[in-house]
Formats: sequence, structure tokens, C-alpha cells
Amino acid sequence: MSRVFITGLGFVTSIGNDAAAVSQSLRELKHGLALFEPFASPDIPCKVVGTVKEFGTDSVDQEDWTFPSRYKIKRELLRTMAPNGLFAHCAMIQAIDDAKLSPEDISNPETGLYAASGGSPMLTHYHRQRLDKFGVTRCSPLGIVSSIVGTLNFNLVAAFKILGASCGFSSACASSAHALGYAFDDLKLGRQRRMFVVGAEDGNRDAILPFAGMRTLSLQADPALASRPFDAARDGFVGTGGGAVLVLETEEEVARRGVTPYCEVLGWGQASDGYNVAISHPEGEGLAAAMNRALKSSGVTPEQIDYVNAHATSTLIGDVSEARALRAVFKDRQPRVSSTKALTGHGLSLAGAMETAFCALAMKEGFTPGSAHITKLEPACEGLNILRTTEPVAPEHVLKNSSGFGGANVAVVLKRPS
Amino acid sequence: MPEAASNSSATNKPFPVLAKTFTPEDETALRESLKRCSPSTFEAAVQFRKTGNPEHVPAVVIGVIERFVEPDLRTKLKDADDDLRLIEDLGIDSLTMMEIVILVEETLQLSINNEELRNLRTVGDVKTFMDCKLRGLPLPKPTKFLPIEHIGSVMPIQPPFLFLNEASISSAGANGKYKITGQEFFLQGHFKDNPVMPASIMLEALGQLAVLYLLEAGISEPGKAVNPQTIFFTGCEGVRAHRVCKPGDILTLSIKPKRMKMPLAVFEGAIRVGQEKTVIAEEITLTFGFMDAPATPSPEPTGSGPSTPTAPDLAPDSPPLKAAVSA
Repeated sequence: MSRVFITGLGFVTSIGNDAAAVSQSLRELKHGLALFEPFASPDIPCKVVGTVKEFGTDSVDQEDWTFPSRYKIKRELLRTMAPNGLFAHCAMIQAIDDAKLSPEDISNPETGLYAASGGSPMLTHYHRQRLDKFGVTRCSPLGIVSSIVGTLNFNLVAAFKILGASCGFSSACASSAHALGYAFDDLKLGRQRRMFVVGAEDGNRDAILPFAGMRTLSLQADPALASRPFDAARDGFVGTGGGAVLVLETEEEVARRGVTPYCEVLGWGQASDGYNVAISHPEGEGLAAAMNRALKSSGVTPEQIDYVNAHATSTLIGDVSEARALRAVFKDRQPRVSSTKALTGHGLSLAGAMETAFCALAMKEGFTPGSAHITKLEPACEGLNILRTTEPVAPEHVLKNSSGFGGANVAVVLKRPS
Repeated sequence: MPEAASNSSATNKPFPVLAKTFTPEDETALRESLKRCSPSTFEAAVQFRKTGNPEHVPAVVIGVIERFVEPDLRTKLKDADDDLRLIEDLGIDSLTMMEIVILVEETLQLSINNEELRNLRTVGDVKTFMDCKLRGLPLPKPTKFLPIEHIGSVMPIQPPFLFLNEASISSAGANGKYKITGQEFFLQGHFKDNPVMPASIMLEALGQLAVLYLLEAGISEPGKAVNPQTIFFTGCEGVRAHRVCKPGDILTLSIKPKRMKMPLAVFEGAIRVGQEKTVIAEEITLTFGFMDAPATPSPEPTGSGPSTPTAPDLAPDSPPLKAAVSA
């Protein structure tokens, strides 16, 4: 079975819209959170969002949108996009460029695309309103493809002329980690030679505010304090949007094209809590099982892992649950752990892909990102090796965790190329 | 958020509908709806909404189409003849057509049902359609596009003496194209070392288009059809040639019926190359006779899939305008 490598990355995130900016933010622990104007009203209790800069996607009319002029996107493509489609489209262009892929490398039956987004509640709402107000015959024929949960894969597959496997993944905050896992499997099994893995979210009012109903959002009005995974005073997560793209390729393709990969994907594992629709298992049993499976499938012992990029979103229950899972798996030899969500906020369906891409970047560029904004460590996290600052050393073996609603847990193991 | 033009319900009302007075609020909503259209489109829409005068409709419709056409193709629409095809020439796909229709509906306060849209293939079709709708006239038969295979199958004239590459037929007349390849046998001698399309052959090409019209859209009587074996040239008048045509030129041919009564059919015809006037024929007259119509059109379920084209039928050519839903 072929080995699998990550050869290209693309970022539209709250901490930077290209690899260089993202890398700088991770090294300097510079967060991308800000007071969010649509949350300004006094009756909205949460105030901070990981904002995507340089993009304006507030309008329900795609032709009103603004984005960096280096991206040229025809109306014909733009008209069917949700905001998350635009972010991912731009991240795709970066990843293609980064991996040095020719048009033939992208559009062939051996190259596929797996994607994950939560769809576009904003556009769903808008089209639904039009339906009620003007009747079905005055509804845009493009309302569905621009808003339902598969909008991301529909748009990217058509725009980039993908001919191989394509699918959307929906396991909430584990979605794009699942996409990565199954893309890895397809490459291992020889079904595809190259896969794009994409995570994206709108990150706007309609996508984030409903989580306030679950009381899972941070109510902190200070952007520097709102997202602080593993801190005793954490009070919920901060939402964010954006898009992240990874190019995964088989060993043969890497050799044929003569490119230098970021890292190798060794394997992955998943397991479910079977416990609660929205609350993590208090002992993190599902996540621990997922980590163990990932290690086993990768042929890596727990001792070999020297960095874990945690799922930790800064919620009260979730962070503790993950801490317990880490303790169960790594026992008394705890690897360095950090949650980059302190900087970005929680990207929901975007999170797994974005944070795996952060790890790939860190391995290539030689640093291990720290966990920002911890003043007083959560007592339940005592004994974990939580990294408070970014270290200028590349990890050799990385474990990346993701958990989603319903207790879906995914862990991915990456290895620095020797 | 764009507001639609009024709060009238969107049921499939027949029109013309000059529903109600045009309020300043309506004007604001209309301006929002048409914000990406040219100022003249907006102005025409305002005039239509104030007066209900169908004269303003073509400007609105063309303005809306223009807004949805990619900028680099808009010049085509600027000096468009009515034969400009929405899909093939303007790159408008079926979904864009729906966007156009929705904006036209919103602007003109009318409803178009999907069935009616299928037959709109050219800019001319759209203009005629809107005009008929607003004046309450019956809708014309849709333009038929005939590919070369179909032309070859119905015409009594065959290569190497067939001078039509493609043709379209509407109730108002027929249009066709012929590209002078340089391989035509007569160019070897016409002229020596200087191939020029003979004017007589260009007249022949117009005559052939008239034959095609006669066969595809000409008069018929119950149980009768025009017999292709009976069509002959009888005369022409007012013929003038304005331009020398050489290999590589594409002749754009058009004919319109002037009078038609068995056994004579009289047409006027013209040829252009690009926008240049090339040949005018004030009258081309053909004779024709009837035959018994082919026995009952072949039974429906032949199991051979959609439309094996029979003479009076449409060949499947450009895709009909319907929303492409693969979900």
C-alpha cells in the first residue's frame, strides 16, 4: 500500500489568508479574534468572532462580495457559492499553487475532492424568506446549490473540474477530519492518486449565533480572553469561518512530480462516544479509543508522539473530557499539547482540516505551536504537558484530534519527513 | 436585501397586467432589482410600469439578458441580430436563463411558466415571445434549428450542390449559413486562378433555403404535405450583388415568405457576410405541389428513445431550456 503525503496547503483563516501569515501568527501566538459588528446589539450575549479579513461576504447577493483582487472568479462560479465556498475556492487556488499542480494534475479520474462545511444558514434563510414572500417561481434556481450542506463540494468539484471521487462529510466539528481520513484511505487503497481535502465555514452571524442557544459560546467581550482552551476561566468557544485545503498524494505521485512534501500521513482512527447528542463523554472514552486506533493503524507507539494538536475548543466540559482522554492514552509520558483554537476560534467543520494544515506547516517550518491565553491552568488538566508558548522545534510525530456532535471522534497521525 | 417590486402574489396570472399605480416604493424596489443593469434598462422598465406600453419591453428584456452575459460576450449582444442564440452564442445556460426569467418577471410584474421557456432559443424568440404575451397575441411557433444531417435528409437537393451548412426556421422566415470552403468544384473555373463564388450560386443558395422553408414550415392542407419532388424555380426579380465572396467567407442567408398559394411561393431574400450587405433578391418564386401526407406519424412508443426525426419533426439540436437538476 502506498504511503500518503501532504504536498500543498491553502488558508483563508482568521489568523491569516496565506501560509506565510498563518505561520507568523502561530509562531507569535497572534490571535485573529475581534469584536464582531453583527453581535453588537445588547440582546446578543456573545461578542467575539474569529473574523476572516480581506473578505466581505455579508450580502446575500454574491456579486456584492469583495475579496482580494489576486483571485479572479467569474460570476458564473460566484453565483452558486456560499461564503464558505468563496473562502475554500481561494484556499484551493493557494493549495494548487503550493503543490505545483498543473491543470492535468487536477482534472483527471485519479484526483478527487472531499469537503466539509455546515452549509450556509444565511443563504438558506434568505431563500426560504423569498419563498414565503414571493412564491416558489420567484426563487433563485441556484438557491439550493448555494446553501445546502453539500454546497462546498458541489461548487469546488464543478469549478476545478474534478473527475475523481467527490463527497461531502457531515459530522459537525469532526467533518473535515473525517474527510481527511477517508481521503487517506482512498489513496492507501489505490482508488485515487491525489485528493483535495477541504474544510470551510461561513463563520457569520447565522452560522455562529445559534450555538449561543446551546450556551456553548464564550460571552467574553475581550478578544484576547474569549478563546482560552485549558484555562480555568474559559467560558465557551469563539466561532470562526474561513477555508482550508490540503493536497494529499501517494508516494508515487510525489516522486513522479518531484515535490517536497510537508509531512506524511501515517494513519487515522475514529470512535464514537455513544453517549450524548451534544455533550462529550466525561471521561473522553470515544476520543481515547480514536487516538488508540490512530496510533495502531499508524504503527506508532504513544511514546513516539511528541505533539498533540488538541480539539479543545475552550468549552467547560469538552476540554476536560479531552484532557482525560489524553491521560488515558499517554499515561505518564505526556506529549506536548496545545490548542490552536485559542488563536483562531473554533472553525466547526473547518477545524480538522485547518488544524491538520497548521501541523503540516509547523513540521515543515520547524516549530511547535503553543496554547495561547492560559493564565491559570484548569485543575483537571494538571499533569498534561500543555505548551504555553511556541517552540522553535518541529515535532517528529503529531497526533491531531477532532470531535463532533453525537460524540464522533477522529484522530490523525502525521510524521515529519526524514 | 433586494426587495421585489410589489407585494402582488406570484401566481401564474395571464398578462398583460398593469396591476396598479407605480408608487415611489415600487420605483425604489425596481431600482434595487435592476441595480446591475444599464440605466436605459431601468428607464425602460419604469416607463413600462407607468404606462404598460409594450414598446418598452424589448429594451428591458435585452437589458436583463445583457446583465447576465459575461462581460466579454456583451459586445455580441450590442449589435445582435435576432438570430443570436442564447446558449450557443451567449453562453447562457439553463440556470442563467431561469435567473433572467425571474428578473424579467419581477421587473415587468408578470409570470412566465416553464413550458413556455423551452422554445426560447434566440434573442429574437425572446423579443417576440414577450411582445405576444403583453399584447395578448397567440405565441408564434418556435424557431427550429436544423443541423446539416436534417437538412440533407429532407432536401431534394444534395451535395455537391447543397449550399446550406445549417438553418433555422421560424414562422417569419428562415435563416441559414454557408461557408465557402474553396473546395467547391466550380471554383476551379470561376475564375481562372481567382476563386469567386458565382452570384448565380448565391441565388441558388437562397432558393435552397426557400425550399427548406417550404418543406418545413410552408403551407399545408389537411392530409397533404408539400412534395419535395415538385418544387422548382420559376423566377426572380430585383437581384443585386454588392460584394465579391471568396473562400473563407461565411454567407448568412435569410428568406421571408411574401405570398404563398399553391402552386406558387414567393420569397424575399438577402445574404450578408458578417454585417456586409452581399446579395439582395426582392422576389424569388418557386412552384410546388402537394402529396398525401406521410401516413400517421410513426407510433409513439418505438422504444428507440426520444425523437427519431421525421420530416415535420424537430431534430434534437440545442438542449431545451429547462433547469438542469441532477440532484
